Amino acid sequence: MEDARTIAAWATPGPEQTAQTAQTAAGEEGFRQLYEATSRPLWGYLHHATGRPHVADDLLQETFCKFLLHPVPQMDEAQTRSYLFRIATNLLHNRSRSRDDAALEEPADSGTQTDEAARLDVREAMRQLKPRERQLLWLAYVEGMSHAEIAAVTGLGAMSIRILLYRARQKASAILRPQRTEP
Amino acid sequence: MKTSCEHEEVVLRAVHTGQWTDALRRHAAECPDCSQAIELAGALRQQARRADRICNPPDPYWILQRSRRQAREITLRRVGRLMAAMRALAAVYAVAVAAWLLRGYAALPYREVASALPGTSSGYALMGAAVAAACAVAGLWPILRHDAHRAAPGSLRQGPASQPPPRA
Repeated sequence: MEDARTIAAWATPGPEQTAQTAQTAAGEEGFRQLYEATSRPLWGYLHHATGRPHVADDLLQETFCKFLLHPVPQMDEAQTRSYLFRIATNLLHNRSRSRDDAALEEPADSGTQTDEAARLDVREAMRQLKPRERQLLWLAYVEGMSHAEIAAVTGLGAMSIRILLYRARQKASAILRPQRTEP
Repeated sequence: MKTSCEHEEVVLRAVHTGQWTDALRRHAAECPDCSQAIELAGALRQQARRADRICNPPDPYWILQRSRRQAREITLRRVGRLMAAMRALAAVYAVAVAAWLLRGYAALPYREVASALPGTSSGYALMGAAVAAACAVAGLWPILRHDAHRAAPGSLRQGPASQPPPRA
């Protein structure tokens, strides 16, 4: 809830607030709060889509830079969040057009053996999905976005989101289930 | 065409917010689509928690600095384009004026004009032309030198510090 308030405080500037004033001292503080509230979910999304932490770092920075360079006035909390995810999705799309990001890499992190097995399961499943499918699953299942919100973020038609999500889920579950049922 | 359960969106919202109604819980337990969605959501959210543990986003100060640098570069590019357009226009204008002058003055009876002018007028005209030429050269020299310096390979301006950050 605190996060929501900080996003809303940044996202609904007064009519006098323009792109220039967004970077004044007050704007900087607002930006810091917005960054604190949204950078981790965005990084998680970028990391899930690319599978590479350093790429996620770069894209996160680029996302916020673009947000600062092209601010849209009078956005509420949900719209600001959606706008940030949209920028990130466009950057991912541009990146996937310019190079092959199909191979996912993940760094070793601390965890139990069971955690590691589960992580590999999910990672393996995600590796076999298309980038767009990975993005849709994350936005719907982790970020809890509605189909309309996902459509706004991805630029796809709202009607097709349901079908695409269904196919992505079927595909991911089909990959995950046999692995989990194995002894 | 087979699509997902119509309640899946509501179920996922409940997974996200934790606000379940009894009816929704009953439906999720019975519906294979929603059960599958909940299971996958659980796996992905677990992955999100793991990602959150290794997430170390950069300080926002550096992002603000980077966005300011990009803003400056965008402004410089815009001004650069304007200057290039002005130079092209100036070159076209100079060529047009030169052609017009050559065409117009080619028909002048120079000997008659020169003989009709008094000696002092010719001297002033020549002096004026020389001063104008000197001013033009003095004005153009630093610009041409600056351009040559920028175009030279290995120039400091083409170093990594002045390059824009990689664009997505």
